[in-house]
Amino acid sequence: MTLKTSIAAAAMALAAAPAFAAEGERVQITGEIIDTWCYFSGVMGGPDAVVGSAHHTCALWCSAGGIPVGLLGDDGEVYMVLKINGDDQSASGDTQLTLASHEIVADGMLYKRDGLNYLVVEAVVEDRGITNLNHEDYGVVPGFAIPKPKK
Amino acid sequence: MKHLKTFAAALALVATPLAAQDFSEGSTAKSWNLYAEVPATFEAEVVDILCTVAGDCANQCAEGRQLGLVRSADNVLVYPNKNSQSSFNGAAYDLHPYCGKMVDVDGLLIEDEDIPGATNIYLVQKIKDAGAAEWAKANKWTKVWAAKHPEAKGKGPWFRRDPRVNAIIADTGHLGQGLSAEEAYEITR
Repeated sequence: MTLKTSIAAAAMALAAAPAFAAEGERVQITGEIIDTWCYFSGVMGGPDAVVGSAHHTCALWCSAGGIPVGLLGDDGEVYMVLKINGDDQSASGDTQLTLASHEIVADGMLYKRDGLNYLVVEAVVEDRGITNLNHEDYGVVPGFAIPKPKK
Repeated sequence: MKHLKTFAAALALVATPLAAQDFSEGSTAKSWNLYAEVPATFEAEVVDILCTVAGDCANQCAEGRQLGLVRSADNVLVYPNKNSQSSFNGAAYDLHPYCGKMVDVDGLLIEDEDIPGATNIYLVQKIKDAGAAEWAKANKWTKVWAAKHPEAKGKGPWFRRDPRVNAIIADTGHLGQGLSAEEAYEITR
């Protein structure tokens, strides 16, 4: 192989690969599956109120609505979930929907780019269900999450 | 010396704090009165995030995968969490027709240093092919949902009629603690 063909082959290989894919790191993270928009934007209140049982219905709506879900780790970091248990439907997918507000132990690969953590969950090692019962402190967030009974 | 100056300038560009960059000029984004919102319009490539970040590209740009915006000015990957609608809708379905293309977008960036990870998060309000004249509103989600769920046609917002959500709520309640726990809570409020 000549130098020119080697360079051309290398250039083609580079072009075929995703431009910025980073090295991943194997991790195991315990945390809660949250809806990231409400958490980051503060649109419905502070971070403590937009998680857990208080925000469960909204977390279902947001997940079904295609808002990215994240894993709020015990370390306080948010890990944006891109794939979970082989399901790459990260915008409104079934797997993430069924885990809304659940505390899980996730095993997978962590990638970092431009200030955000991205997580490919290869296995949900443990699903502890909803453990943060913060509706006792905040009620339901938003307040209209539980519809008023029809008269 | 000349090379050294060029290298120093390039290094300075790389080292520029991302938050210091201002993309508000020319933006006509409407405020949502969010604490950390900043209007921002910029050119970007629409990318499949799972492919771009993790190299999982076999199914790239398929419907239902999250899409990102790699900003032309600084190569930063911006994550559109939200479209312009107010009813719990993400942006992936609005961006999907543009995956792999260059676009112009207008919306609100979220940069909140008090919340870990609240950086390069975006609410996209308008989108168009790069350089095109006409903008399209990023409000397609509810129409996509309605086409997918003709059986759920009816009055009220989509999120009250979504079959998957309603099945979960019917099983474990609005608090996810079971129906009897919800009943007990309802008595107290």
